[in-house]
Amino acid sequence: MRASIQPRSIAFRLIAAVLAVELVSSLAVIFLSLGYERHSHFRAFDVMLHGRADTVIGAVQDAEDASDNVMLNQADLHLPSEDIYEVTDAAGRLLGRSPNWQGVPAASPANPGDSFSRMTINDRHYRVLSTHGSRIVDPADPGGGKLRQVTILYGSPTYHVWRAIRGAVEFYAAGSILLLLVTGPLIAWLLHRGLLPLRQLASLAALVSVNSWQFSPPDSARTTTELAPLTQAIENVLQRLERSFRQQQTFVSDAAHELKTAVAVIKSSLQLLGMKARTAAEYKAGLERCLSDSLRLEEIVAKMLILARIENQDRSVPRPLPPPADDFAEILRQTVADLQTIAALRSVEMAVSNQTLSSPADPSSTRLPVPIAADDCSLLISNLLLNALQHSEPQSNIEIRLTLESNSNSQTLQLEIEDHGDGIDPEELPHVFDRFYRGDPSRTRSTGGTGLGLAICKAVAEKAGGTIAIASQPSQGATVTVRLPLANEAPSQQSQFLPEGGGENSPG
Amino acid sequence: MRVLLVEDEVRLAENLAAALRDGPGFAVDWAADGQAGDDSARLRCYDLVVLDLMLPRLDGLSLLRRLRSRGDPTPVLILTAKEGARSIIELLNAGADDYLAKPFDLGELIARAKALIRRGMGAAHPTLTALGLEVNTLEQTVRREGVPVELSPTEYRILEYLIHRPRAVVSKRELLEHLYDYNWEHHSNVIEAHVSNLRKKLEAALPNPEPVIETMRGRGYRLAPEMSPSTKPRL
Repeated sequence: MRASIQPRSIAFRLIAAVLAVELVSSLAVIFLSLGYERHSHFRAFDVMLHGRADTVIGAVQDAEDASDNVMLNQADLHLPSEDIYEVTDAAGRLLGRSPNWQGVPAASPANPGDSFSRMTINDRHYRVLSTHGSRIVDPADPGGGKLRQVTILYGSPTYHVWRAIRGAVEFYAAGSILLLLVTGPLIAWLLHRGLLPLRQLASLAALVSVNSWQFSPPDSARTTTELAPLTQAIENVLQRLERSFRQQQTFVSDAAHELKTAVAVIKSSLQLLGMKARTAAEYKAGLERCLSDSLRLEEIVAKMLILARIENQDRSVPRPLPPPADDFAEILRQTVADLQTIAALRSVEMAVSNQTLSSPADPSSTRLPVPIAADDCSLLISNLLLNALQHSEPQSNIEIRLTLESNSNSQTLQLEIEDHGDGIDPEELPHVFDRFYRGDPSRTRSTGGTGLGLAICKAVAEKAGGTIAIASQPSQGATVTVRLPLANEAPSQQSQFLPEGGGENSPG
Repeated sequence: MRVLLVEDEVRLAENLAAALRDGPGFAVDWAADGQAGDDSARLRCYDLVVLDLMLPRLDGLSLLRRLRSRGDPTPVLILTAKEGARSIIELLNAGADDYLAKPFDLGELIARAKALIRRGMGAAHPTLTALGLEVNTLEQTVRREGVPVELSPTEYRILEYLIHRPRAVVSKRELLEHLYDYNWEHHSNVIEAHVSNLRKKLEAALPNPEPVIETMRGRGYRLAPEMSPSTKPRL
C-alpha cells in the first residue's frame, strides 16, 4: 500500500452517510415547517384583519346630514395603535383614517372582492386588506333606507407573524441539531458493536503465520451473513496456501537432502583418494569416479531446474514462448528414433502403433497439436521411454500406442507406453511420480537416475491440462498412460512464436 | 571391529565402506535399505551402526527405535541431511549416540566411529593399556614395555578387540563375527593361525616374556589375567 493512500474507515463513512441523510431530512423538515407555519399563521392573520376591518365597518355611522352620507366614528374604535386603516365611500370620499396613516397610495377601489397588498410604512411591513362593506342609512325609512358602500383598507404590521414563524422554525431546527448530536455518537457506538465480528476475525486472521497455519474463525464471524463468505474464503485460501507451502517445504527439504548427499559423495570420494598414498592408476580411477559423481550432481541440478521452469512458468510475464508441439505424433516418432540406439544396446525392441495416423484421412486433420512446448513434449516422451527402457528385461519389447479420443466438444490424445520388465511393487505405485522417489535401491544402483524423471513428466502433463497414470502387474511390466488435450490452433497465438527461438532452452 | 553401514546412496556407501576399511581397518557390512539394515542389525555382531535417515522401506529413525526397543546397545552414528536442532534432539532422544550432517568430512566420520566403538566397549582414551601392552588405536601401533611390535592388520585387530575386553573370554566365533564382514570366508582356523602369529610377535618383543594371550580350550581366548589389567590411559 502506498503511503499517500489514506486508510478509509467503513464505520466513519457509514456514520457520515447517516448524519448527512439526517441533515438533509432536517433541512427538509425545516423548510416544510417554514411553509406550513407561514401558511397557517397568515391565515390566522388574515382572519384577524377581517375581524378588525369589520370592527372599522361597525364604526361607520349615519352622518345625519341631508344627503344621507355616512361618517366614521373613530371615538369608539379600539384598535392596536400600530394598525392602519382608511375608510372611503363609494364616491372615493375619505371618511376617516387612522392617525398613523400617511402617504399610502389608495387601493384600487375597482376591486370588487377582498384583496391583500403589502405596504411599507416607517420601515415596517404591513399587510393590508382591502375590503368592502355597506351601511344602510335610515333603515326605518320606507323603502328600506339607503345603502352606502364603503371601502376599507386595513393593515397590520407583519413582524409579529414573522416572529412567530421564526420561533417555530427555530424550534424545529434546534430539535434537528439536537437529534444529530445525539444520534452521531449513538450510531458510532452501534457500528462499533456491529463490527465486532469483523475485528475478531481480523485479530484471529492476524495470528496466522508460516509457522502456525491454525485458523479457527470466531462463531460470530461465521454466523454473520456478510462475513461468512469472507471467513470461508480466508479458510480456503489458507488451506490451499498451507498445502502448497508444505509441498514446497517438502520439495526444498528433499532437494536439500539430494544435493547434500550428492555433495557428500563427491567430497567423500575426494577424501578417500587423499587418505593414503596411491598409485597413478588408482588416482586416475578415483578422479574418474569423482567426475562421474559430479556429473550426477549436475544432472540433479539440471532436472530440478527443468522442474522449476515447468512449474513456475508465469503466464502473466510476457516472454517469447518456445514453439508449441504442433504434431505430437511426429515428435513421438523422432524421440523413439533417437532412443533406438539405447534400446538396441539393451536389446529391447521399441515399436509405435499409431491407430490415429493409420487411418487414411485428410493429412491436415491428422496433425496432433498439443498445448506444450515442443521441447517439453519430447522431454516427456523421452523420460517415459528411458524409464521404460531402464526397467525392461533384455530381449523384451516396449509397446507405444497413440490413440485419439473424440468427445462431443474436445479431443484427447492418449499415449500408452508398456514395458515388460519386473513391474512395480503395489506399495510403491502411488509414489512413483513423487519427486526424488526412487524405487528399489538395488535397481537404482544398476540404472542410476535422480528420482526426478517421472516427476518432470507429471509436471509437463499437468501443465498442459492432461493427466498421467501408471499401472503395473508385478513381474509383468508397467504401463504409463498420458492423456493430453489437443490444442486449439489459434492463429493469433501462432504468430507470437519465433521460428528459431525454441532451440535455446532445450536441455542437454 | 565390525560396522553396519545402512545407506541407500550407492556411491556414498561405497566410499564410506572403503574409508572405514582402509582407515581404521573395520569390517563393514552394507545394507541398502532400512529393512535390510534392521535384518542385519538383528545379528548383534556389530560394534557400530552408521545409519542414514532417509531410507527406502524403513526410515532411519524407525530402524533406530526398533533397535533400541530390542535392547540393542550397539552405538549408532546417524548421517543426516536434515537441518534443525529439533530433528537432532529427536534423534538423540530416540537413542542415537552421535550424528554427522551431510556433507561430512570423512576423517571426522572415522574419528567419531572410532570414539563411539571405544565408548561402546567402555574405554575413554584412544590408547589402551594392559599387561604392559600399549595399543594406540589412532596410529594402530602396539608397544610392549615400550618396545614397538610390528603386527599385520588382522593381528592388530584381534589384539585391539581382546584388549577392549580385558577379562572376558572371547570365542573364535565372536572374533570372526566382529573382525570380518559377511563377504569373507569364515573359518575358525584362520583365527587360530592369526592368534598364533600374534602371540609369537608379542613374545619376541621381550627377552623373557610372559604369555599375554591365553587359550581357553573349546571356549576361546582372553588376555592373561595374572597381572591386573588396566584400561586407564597412559599419557
